[in-house]
Amino acid sequence: MNHLVLEVGTALVLVAVGSIIANKLKFSIIPFLIVLGMIVGPHAPSFGIIDLTFIESDEIIHFLGRIGVLFLLFYLGLEFSVGKLMKSGKNIVVGGSIYVAINFVLGLAYGFLTGMEWMEILIIAGLVSVSSSAIVAKVLVDLKRTANPETELILGIILFDDIFLALFLTTMSGILLAGSTSVLGIITSVLISVGYMLLFFIIARKGAPLLNKWLNIKSDEIFIIVIFAILFFVAGFSETLHVAEAIGALLLGLVFSETEHRDRIEHLVVPFRDFFGAVFFFSFGLSIDPSTLVDAIWLALGAAAITIIGNFVAGLISGRRAGLSHKASTNIGLTIMARGEFSIIVANLGITAGLNSILTPFTALYVLILAIAGPLLTKESKPIYKFLNKIFKWSMEREKKKIEVPGN
Amino acid sequence: MNIRESELPGIGYKFEIITKNQDKLVIVIHDDGRREIYHFDAADYEEVVSNVTLNDEEARQIAGILGGMSYKPKALETVDFAFDDIIIEWYQVEPNAPAVNQTIGELDIRNNYSVTVIAIKKKNEKKTNYPGPDTVIETGDTLVVSGERHQIKNLINRLLCGKG
Repeated sequence: MNHLVLEVGTALVLVAVGSIIANKLKFSIIPFLIVLGMIVGPHAPSFGIIDLTFIESDEIIHFLGRIGVLFLLFYLGLEFSVGKLMKSGKNIVVGGSIYVAINFVLGLAYGFLTGMEWMEILIIAGLVSVSSSAIVAKVLVDLKRTANPETELILGIILFDDIFLALFLTTMSGILLAGSTSVLGIITSVLISVGYMLLFFIIARKGAPLLNKWLNIKSDEIFIIVIFAILFFVAGFSETLHVAEAIGALLLGLVFSETEHRDRIEHLVVPFRDFFGAVFFFSFGLSIDPSTLVDAIWLALGAAAITIIGNFVAGLISGRRAGLSHKASTNIGLTIMARGEFSIIVANLGITAGLNSILTPFTALYVLILAIAGPLLTKESKPIYKFLNKIFKWSMEREKKKIEVPGN
Repeated sequence: MNIRESELPGIGYKFEIITKNQDKLVIVIHDDGRREIYHFDAADYEEVVSNVTLNDEEARQIAGILGGMSYKPKALETVDFAFDDIIIEWYQVEPNAPAVNQTIGELDIRNNYSVTVIAIKKKNEKKTNYPGPDTVIETGDTLVVSGERHQIKNLINRLLCGKG
């Protein structure tokens, strides 16, 4: 135990190095940290005092990762605003529904065809349906696509997707953590978690003025202590009601998002989310035994393939429905296919509940493939569009448009 | 000129501008203070020709240059006669500006802002009218005002520019 700080320090050095490399290569840090976590671990050597097995510190790294999940979901809750979604308009609601429906149904079908159990099927369907907000936003900014006509729709679909994620996680945690196998038991626990969620919605709506007053704390020091105290307590308390702690954090974020202090909390939480989130990705990698990857590789490849197709089709349909060109619609599907933090969180929920252990290596590989392939495909969207254009002959429309413009 | 605004959740705010010459320009204001300007192909509004990224300070300086704060183009010199401290300025009323649909008399511009409205060019008319207290100010009207520079600025900020 003497070397605990050193071990955690070593882990953090690895995380830092991985993040620097990822940044140099202009990639999201998520896949890099997972791979790093996989490389080290119980099977890795230890050099003198530098212990790469992380056996002693496994528990604490895991705990730091758990905090990471709390912050990731707390932040998601803060960002999430029903008002924003209402304002966003029909295109986004329709596009988002199409997107989630296509991916979820494909996920269900895939889980079914690969002979999974029901719970595993649901988890797989969930994790293939949630796009990575972090990667998508990063790709849009990095590739300088923020000005494009399809960007609003992409971000809107993501927003919608996040809401789906919140509902899915809440329901799923009710099902999984109930520990009951009877239909009645499952229904009861789902009702409990949905009721719990509604309670938070009501607090968010009705309690905002009171919270505004209570949280009106001048000192940043006291403010952050109060916020974090509430966060950890509520998250932990949720667990006792068989609602995953992460959901507690998410719902609390939702309550705070209705208050005046939202921006201040967001501002304070971001560094913690980034730091503990990074540790979470690393600890997720650490929990994977590389030898199990082989069993999951085909499963992950298949899922990645259907996600690519599903996203592409969903993007095309949503984009065309919103009146965008084929080219812009192509970009939508290619951009939102990136998978990352939220897929891992969904899988994590299943793993914590003791589902089939294949989920861990499967999700790791699946996220690795799409966290890297997604941005690459987005970058190459122009050649992809040209290639598809040759097959489907969309270009006629574009040609016409080109002639029209000089006449104006 | 046609301006469309939209929010980019998690990134910032976006302004899409189509100019009279059918050039498309997009300005993205990032939440971290960066500004980006994109210029699109006039023949294909989905094809970016070039873009510039500015930090907050640069963006403010460029805004000043574009706004004619440091140098007024020769073509507009006739517009802006300087009588010691008194200048004449043209300003087009923006949509949703507080002054829209109010008369000059109601607003009592001369007493409240120490600025005189010397002419008004209605949006859809070529002719310039001489305004009276009953003249209604509408979106798109161009007001010709005279007064001290800071007073004119005050008037524009308070009454003539659109708020959100």
